[in-house]
Order: sequence, then structure tokens, then C-alpha cells
Amino acid sequence: MNNVEKLNEIFVEIFSCNVSELKTEFNKDAIDGWDSVRQLTLTSAIEDTFDVLLDPEDIIACTSYNAVIDVLRKYEIEL
Amino acid sequence: MFLNLNKKNPDKIAVIDDSGESLTYGDLCKYAEEFASALPYRTLIFILSENTNGSLLGYTSALSNRVVPLIISNKTEQTLFDSLYEKYQPEYLWLPTQRVDDFDSNFNEIVYTTHGYSLVKTSFKTPELYEELSLLLPTSGSTGSPKLVRHSYRNIEANAENVMNLFELTSDERAMAVLPMHYTMGLSVIASHLYAGATLLLCNKSLLDAGFWKMLKSGATSFTGVPYSYELLMKLRFTRMDLPNLKIITQGGGKLKEEMWMHLANYAQEKGKKFIATYGQSECTARMAYLPAELALAKPCSIGIAEPGGKLSIVDAEGNESFEGEAIGEMVYRGENVTLGYATCKDDLTKGDENHGVIHTGDIARRDGDGYYYIVGRMKRFLKIFGLRIGLDELENLICSNFDTDCYCSGTDEKLIIKITNSDVIDIIPMFIEEKTHLFHQRIEIIVIDKIIRNEAGKVINQ
Repeated sequence: MNNVEKLNEIFVEIFSCNVSELKTEFNKDAIDGWDSVRQLTLTSAIEDTFDVLLDPEDIIACTSYNAVIDVLRKYEIEL
Repeated sequence: MFLNLNKKNPDKIAVIDDSGESLTYGDLCKYAEEFASALPYRTLIFILSENTNGSLLGYTSALSNRVVPLIISNKTEQTLFDSLYEKYQPEYLWLPTQRVDDFDSNFNEIVYTTHGYSLVKTSFKTPELYEELSLLLPTSGSTGSPKLVRHSYRNIEANAENVMNLFELTSDERAMAVLPMHYTMGLSVIASHLYAGATLLLCNKSLLDAGFWKMLKSGATSFTGVPYSYELLMKLRFTRMDLPNLKIITQGGGKLKEEMWMHLANYAQEKGKKFIATYGQSECTARMAYLPAELALAKPCSIGIAEPGGKLSIVDAEGNESFEGEAIGEMVYRGENVTLGYATCKDDLTKGDENHGVIHTGDIARRDGDGYYYIVGRMKRFLKIFGLRIGLDELENLICSNFDTDCYCSGTDEKLIIKITNSDVIDIIPMFIEEKTHLFHQRIEIIVIDKIIRNEAGKVINQ
């Protein structure tokens, strides 16, 4: 599995969505139920999967699919 | 006036919400008058709440004018809303103006609008209401139970007074109010600080939102959270932040793990802050007990002693009640914040005081030799996950009435376990529960078993 597939799997599992929905519009405001519980589960899963430790401001920044990609690139994860 | 709002300094800021807009105590009084001219008589309303100024004005205006609100989340799932709506038949709704159209088939008239909220008349008539009834809250915010807690005017004032005294609140406080308004402890933070003439920082954003941190760092003097709030704060390395104005960190809504407790108690001691754990129930207008800050390190995980104005006791297995010395048994509370009782239908809104100031909490407590209480178990069937009370009986009813399966719910405050007998619905149920209750599906475990065996009394044997 490549990194994009790993990331998509995390999203699908947490938000019970389809991979096809994972694009620009997939964000905190558009997704019903994107709350602090899901966001922290998301960032913890990212930390475990990609073996990184996110800074607090990056945890807060993970409010959309695209933002998560940007954050991961900052930690030099290739996507 | 409600909470003596008209006796505070009218120019003092009462609330700032996360849009940056503020309201003074004078404004709260002025909007209460406007509300009264739109709705000049006592009746029942539903407030679809958010932590915003508009929502708060509905609360302060209704209570100031003896209009009785049921406060529920603006995010209440539609079918759960519909069942409460049909059951209690509110004559008016106070809801975000942008949502008025969601209900258009039922409503005909917007009678008043301010700060993004509107008062809308429904087709229901004015109900009969017990004269001391002030406010209704759901017992189980998440399962949409139609069972409500009935509060008197005195309950709310007594809670505000007791909480003000236990935290020694003055008008200088700037309290972070991020727990939802429809949640008993969120409302207690609001009422106690308004009563003290202080300033509320009313936040509708999550703890993982930059907006929350901006407010916290804008001179908040206290933060009130549930155990999960502290898990989030720790993840964001809150204890390493420089928050010189923050004096009080306080917690309720369930038990903290000992490790987290010690972390917070040590942090408070090192930084010269107060860590105050509290205990409460919606049946007692939120708070009932607290552990004085200076004992946080000495008595980890204790809920402490009764709040000022209250009294705790223990009824042991033999039925003996004691007020001091070591004991274990059901914890009982007495005080003016003990609510009137429950309502399960519209007619119950005419009922008077059924508790008479005494409540059997349903929690099993141990009292140590110094008189400090520790919660060790629970008699009632509910879980508290992320500070949400999840009634297991209600959940079972919800599942059995929607799916062709028998079911039994159990679990811990970490995880809900649902045993079902029909393996065909195994994948649907977590999503269904998440949709209805907003409980995250990863905190739900489904187990398929052949049969749920009950005894003659209906109690499940193979738990």
C-alpha cells in the first residue's frame, strides 16, 4: 500500500466514507460529525501509521483532506 | 430578575462569543424586554442551542420572563427532535434564523429575531405549567430520551450561588464556556458566572479549533472540561503553554483516570493554579460536590465533599444512612439545587416538587475517614463516554424498534458494547448509533450471540 492509500484508508475508517469522496471538498464544515473526537482519532492514526509526532498547531490544522496532505508533506511524508 | 441580571453593572461585558461580538449586562436586560414584547406570557419553548450570543439571549430572556425552555442541541438528530416536538408540543421555538426554513411546513410566524436567532410560533397551544417550573433539560442528551429533568427557579439560582461560592467567583472572572449550553454543566458555568457578574467567553468551536485557543489565550481565567477535554488538551501539550491568566482548571462529567488527575494536579501546583474536580448530575442542576484545590494531590480521584449549601450521605447495603466516618453505599445528596423531578410526557409539566430536596444519586460511593467521597460504581444503567450520558435501556429500545434483532447493551466509560442476535445487522448498527447519538462508531463494539437470555423479571442473565 502506498502512502496515499494508507491515508485514504484512515479517512474511510473514521468517517465511514468512500474513497471517491476524498477530495478538496472533504473538510470539517462539509462533513457532518467532523468533531474533535474524530479529528484527534484522525491525527493519532496518522501519527501511528506514518511514524511522526505532530506539533499541536498541526493537529489543529488538520481540518480537511487537503490540509492533512499539506501537514504530512511538512513532515516529509511523500504523497 | 433572573440571576439578578438587572443588578449587575449594565456596562460590564457579560459575554463574548467566538465571533468576537460582546453583550453587556445592560444588553441582556434590554433584549429580555424586547423578547417579552414579542412573547408576553408564560408558555413552553424549545431552544435549539449553540454556544453563541443569540442562543444565550434565548435562555436569559426566556428565564427572565417566566417562559419555560427545553434546551436541546441545535444538532439534535431530526427524528429525535420530532419525537420531543410531538410529545411536548412547544408553542414557540428559539432557533438559528437560518434553520427556520427547515421547519416551514409546521410554522407560520416569526415573531422576533435578534443575533442570528428567531422566535417562531408553532401551531401548538399554551400548555399548563407548574408555577415554579423554570427549565427543562434532557436526561440523556444523546439517545434522545423523551425523559426530561424539571428545574425550579430556585434550583438554578441555588446552583449559581453554590458554584459561585465554591470557586470564589468575582466579577473579574473571564470564564471559558466551551461545554455545550444544552449540557447541564455547560449551563451551570453560564449561570454561575452571570450570577457573579463576570464575563463569559462563549465558544461554539471544538478544542481542536484555532478559534478556541485564541479565546483561551485572550485572558481566560478558568476552564471547565469533561475528562475527554483534558485528553485533548494534553495532546496539544497544554501544560507547556504560557497561560498566565488562567487560574482555575476544573472538571466534571465523569471520572478522570488517575494518571491524568496527577498530571493536572502537579501542573496546577507547579504553576500556581487551582485544579478543582467536581461531581454533579442534571438531576441536581449540575454540581453537587467538589474537591478543594489544596487536596488535589493528597486525594486523587476523589469527588471531595458537598458543595457549599449541600449535604452528602451514604446509605449502606443494610439501609443505614450515615453522614460521617468510613462507609460505602449509595450516595445521597440534599440541597436546594435538587430538581423537582422528571417529565416523561406533556402532562408531567404540571407536576410539582417530587424530590423535596433529596436525591438518591444511583452512584456507589466510598467515604474515607476524613469525610471525602470517591465514586466506585454505578447502580443505574448508563455509560458516560466523552462526557455524554448514554442510557443503555433507551439504546436497546432504539435498536430493537429499528432492527429485527434482540439486543443487550453494556460497556465501560471508554467503550459501548452491543450484543445482538442477528448477524445481518452487524455492519449497520454502529453507523445507526453514530447517526442517532453522535457517539463515534470506533467506541462501539458489536458482538453477535445466539440468544439473549432473560430471567422472569426480564433481567439479562448472560451479560
